[in-house]
Amino acid sequence: MMTPMAKVKALIVGAGVALGGSASADGMDYETVTDLLHLVMSSDRTVYTRMIVNRLAVEEGVIKASEHFEDDKALVLPAQMFRFGSEMVAEETDEFSYSLLSLWPINKQNAPTTPMEKEGLEYIAANPGENFYGEEELGGETYFTAVYPDIAVAEACWACHNDHKDTPRTDFKAGDVMGGVVIRIPM
Amino acid sequence: MKTGTLWILWIALTLGLAAAASARLYVGGDRTVFQPGETSGVHHQFEVSCETCHTSEPFEDQASIRKDLNKTCVTCHKEELKAADDSHPIKKFKNPRMAAYWDRIDARYCTSCHSEHEPEITEAGLLTLPGDYCVACHSEGEQDVRVNRPSHLGLTFDTCASSGCHNYHDNKALYEDFLVKHAGEPWLADDPTHPPSVIARARPRADASEIETYLAAIVAPEDAQGTEADTHWAASAHAAADVGCGGCHAPDAETPAEIEAAWEPAPGEQVCASCHRGQAKTFALGRHGMRRHPELANPRDPERMLKRLGWSEPPEMVVSALEDYLADPAPAPLMSTSEARVDLHAEAMGRDLTCATCHAPHEQDLSFASTGACLTCHSDDHSLAYEDSAHHDLVLAEMAGDLPPGSGVTCATCHMSTSERRGVVMTNHNQNDTLRPNEKMIRPVCMSCHSLEFSIDALADADLVQRNFQGTPDRHIESIDWAVKRVDQPDQGSNQ
Repeated sequence: MMTPMAKVKALIVGAGVALGGSASADGMDYETVTDLLHLVMSSDRTVYTRMIVNRLAVEEGVIKASEHFEDDKALVLPAQMFRFGSEMVAEETDEFSYSLLSLWPINKQNAPTTPMEKEGLEYIAANPGENFYGEEELGGETYFTAVYPDIAVAEACWACHNDHKDTPRTDFKAGDVMGGVVIRIPM
Repeated sequence: MKTGTLWILWIALTLGLAAAASARLYVGGDRTVFQPGETSGVHHQFEVSCETCHTSEPFEDQASIRKDLNKTCVTCHKEELKAADDSHPIKKFKNPRMAAYWDRIDARYCTSCHSEHEPEITEAGLLTLPGDYCVACHSEGEQDVRVNRPSHLGLTFDTCASSGCHNYHDNKALYEDFLVKHAGEPWLADDPTHPPSVIARARPRADASEIETYLAAIVAPEDAQGTEADTHWAASAHAAADVGCGGCHAPDAETPAEIEAAWEPAPGEQVCASCHRGQAKTFALGRHGMRRHPELANPRDPERMLKRLGWSEPPEMVVSALEDYLADPAPAPLMSTSEARVDLHAEAMGRDLTCATCHAPHEQDLSFASTGACLTCHSDDHSLAYEDSAHHDLVLAEMAGDLPPGSGVTCATCHMSTSERRGVVMTNHNQNDTLRPNEKMIRPVCMSCHSLEFSIDALADADLVQRNFQGTPDRHIESIDWAVKRVDQPDQGSNQ
């Protein structure tokens, strides 16, 4: 039986080989690992946003998406979907961690908390199409920190973020960098 | 005596004393002497069963001990926190991006706020931090509440959790959008009934002819028949559900002869639990049934302990001698009212709590189980005031037929919340489930009849709670007003 972590590692290595990344018997460099992790995250996130939320809530209007999805009997918001996954990972392992942050968060919890998060989010907003990589020390441990742009892929993204009562920014449009995915691996 | 001899004597005595103390700790006797301080709340019911919380191996490092200890908190409180949609879940703080907060209050560990065995600093809810603990994280940066909520500018941090506005864990009835959604509702609904109680109390009663039929079909030993129990049973839901005498007094028997042979005059609570599983399970989660909690450490096992101490094959004789020495099964099998730490009537002392304490086994008198039984023991102000309360008047009116079923509010209506699933009503027998903080009661109980606003105000008035809600709240909590204002005039308060 494989442990969940072993499965994740096998998946990453498998995906790495398929993509021709720098995977080898000696292991992968941090950047390749976070790139691959992010590829899985952003693909799943886009699928959920476009094929579930945008289709059912915006285009067909058959169900709402709501932050209070239980009380409102609604779909989980894409940002919550992402966060619940990351919290589930946090319960299983501390070999990596990730979060979805923004310089313009609706939920203040998702504003940058470390100087590197702020630097990374500013960098990806100013340099569309580029990622940010760095090293930072948190709680006495050194981390490899990667920040990837999170792009507005469907109307559901900007419609909700522009209209929400707590949003600090109201002019998002298709293709904008709305925030970033931060992935950390302890070195 | 020579100095050398004195040294030897001192070492021998010290070792002897240490051996006696550890023998007591590891293998025998009453261990209350090892308690660093009284435990709080329900924990006192199993405090001598140390291994329930202290699971680490001897001589482990402090970090591992903290981890192990905190794991045991979650073992028992996990479901409750999940149901509360915990506002500060541990998993949120595990991410290294929260490292700056770990130095303020390390929310990755329950024990950062809830430290046991410290009665002198323990507040309600086993809080062992000063009441203004929110200040640690919500007074600066992105989390500064005074920046995010201008309405909170003049407020002090000792009022966040004491005002009826916020809880650290459970804000299911207090979150902003919920406040807005229920703003402006009348204090009392047009049709004030508690929906699951409507179903439970509208159950049709057996008529005279049905009772005759049930009585005629009784199968029981001759000497057990002809008492009042027969007629009580024939009018009960057990008779209607085809649960005959043998169902409880001889559960494995089928034929009349087998029933007579296997007859048990006073069946134990495990017979009740064999059908009423949900009730038995929840009973073990509250204070009345805590000694049956499935996560409590088992009584100490001398053989296992001797093996742990390095004696791989202890002789049978030593093990049985030790078992005899262990006079205190830890914890004691049942909780007696004499051990309770709440106000009880003097005549209620020394009683064990089983199903039959509140439920007369044949009668199934739910009005006794839902009020009378409680008041037999409990003598605090809130309980003593109940029979003079408006809630009790409603019970009387419902019994007189002046109000529809589900109108009366008994002790159980509020303290043993009922839920309905596909027409079946299940009563939560953990009567502590919604008790602390009391805002937990708002959604499953209060809001069946009252507005959110009235419920928040009433529960925030401790004197009113003590008077069992005779009168009106002496305060108004402005949370709903502020939430509505923020939505109506977003430029005056929201983050835009």
